[in-house]
Amino acid sequence: MIEFDNVSLSFGKRIILDKMSFRAEFYEKIAVLGGSGEGKTTLLKLILGLLNPDSGRILIDGRDITVLSESEMRESRMKFSIVFQEGALFDSMNVYENVAFSLREYSALPEEEIEAQVRELLAKLDLEHAIYHMPEELSGGMQRRVAIARSLSGCKPLMMLYDEATTGLDPLTADNICQLINELAAGESPQRLGFIIVTHKVTDAVKVADRYMYLRQGKIAFDGDLSALKLTADPELAKFVEELHYCIS
Amino acid sequence: MNIKQNIARLQDFYLLSIRAPLGIFKRPFYFKEIFEQMDYAGTGSLFIVILVSLFIGMAMSMQISAELAPMGLKMYTGKTVGISIIREIGPVLTALIYAGRVGSGMASELGSMTLGHQVDILRVHGVNPINKLVTPRLISSLVMLPALTVVGDAVSLFGGYYVAVFVSNQSGSFYWSQIRDIMDMQNIVSGIVKPYVFGYLIACISCYVGLSTRGGARGLRKATTSAVVYSIIFVIISDLVLTIILFKLMGFSI
Ligand SMILES: Nc1ncnc2c1ncn2[C@@H]1O[C@H](COP(=O)(O)OP(=O)(O)O)[C@@H](O)[C@H]1O
Ligand SMILES: [Mg+2]
Repeated sequence: MIEFDNVSLSFGKRIILDKMSFRAEFYEKIAVLGGSGEGKTTLLKLILGLLNPDSGRILIDGRDITVLSESEMRESRMKFSIVFQEGALFDSMNVYENVAFSLREYSALPEEEIEAQVRELLAKLDLEHAIYHMPEELSGGMQRRVAIARSLSGCKPLMMLYDEATTGLDPLTADNICQLINELAAGESPQRLGFIIVTHKVTDAVKVADRYMYLRQGKIAFDGDLSALKLTADPELAKFVEELHYCIS
Repeated sequence: MNIKQNIARLQDFYLLSIRAPLGIFKRPFYFKEIFEQMDYAGTGSLFIVILVSLFIGMAMSMQISAELAPMGLKMYTGKTVGISIIREIGPVLTALIYAGRVGSGMASELGSMTLGHQVDILRVHGVNPINKLVTPRLISSLVMLPALTVVGDAVSLFGGYYVAVFVSNQSGSFYWSQIRDIMDMQNIVSGIVKPYVFGYLIACISCYVGLSTRGGARGLRKATTSAVVYSIIFVIISDLVLTIILFKLMGFSI
């Protein structure tokens, strides 16, 4: 379980998170909505311990990660896999090497075994044909897929973290990625691989998530399910959700 | 930017500049990265170092023989050129070229990896970015900057020789015999210690600035510029400090 307890963080004079508290189970399917610069990526980085808050506690399975050192953090980070905005592929490596990265770094597996695993994963994500391409030769959607493949290789995460997984993609490709996210999160609640997707595209969020949080001025201004989201009284969030009504009509 | 954050940054820089060299002796070793960096930093800089050194050597030789000629001391051109090149101009000039070409490259590459979250991905996978990114660059600088300096010195001396002999009509063998005279322990040590220190400074500063890049394309521009500016400033300051220390150690008297 992830638990934020009065977490505050500011960069210089800018307050990004202001005494934020929430809880989430690993198997939940959460969408965090919010405008750009509201601290969505920062939130994911805090969960992974890539940043430390100024104050407050972040508990992962009851353990406060804000006091851990970089090497102690490893265990808690292994519970998650992250797909960053734009994919964050290593641009000096081809698709194969990107996906093999964590296997090579961490397991003492022989190269044939690594290759077999990578090929299996790429096949699952429909990427075999791009195996020796460099990231810059791939379309945005393919890059996201490779990033998802890399985040799944060599580890068994309990929860996926997607940072703007569909932003900047055309609607068809975005839909494709949403489908992939849904496939990965298939199954019944306690066992399934849950996720937190961070996005400002509410139309994509509703395709995958069943719990919604709205981040504004460092606080969680809304936390609830789809029906509550549609009925929200918050004028700014209502603007976000307005888009949904057009889609349905 | 408040005081607390400035201190935190200074602390980060100290940590980086201590951990990066420690990484040289610690597993895992990233040989592929080291060789790639050496190729970029060393082989890639060879041409410009040769070009600049040759011309500086020629210009120096010309200036000095012109100054010495009226006093009838033209034959000491070799000695004067040699000492200035080996002790001072060679190391500093090569370091400045290196800062401009390689330091800026390191800062912009690491900066764009930071902005693109590639560095975060390394940390998520449990790879220490200092070991994987900074140490190979430091090693390559510690090997390549001294090597480039030696090549640059040799080329400068050769340029000086060319002007002394073919323009100023001096004796070539006397030029080289003076160069041989000044190739003593003291001069060689003072010439060869400097590039190690400069290489260390340029690599640490550029990598630190690169890894702390924030704020998109503008941030990247700032990072690249500051890497070069800080490297140049620190090279020049440490050059004077080193010269003073080496003078004391080597027992030169002014
Ligand atoms: N390491 C950092 N140092 C200073 N400012 C930062 C840092 N990381 C993010 N910021 C700033 O914090 C704000 C929130 O960033 P982010 O979480 O990336 O927003 P978004 O919701 O668009 O993902 C932005 O204004 C960004 O410029
Ligand atoms: Mg973001």
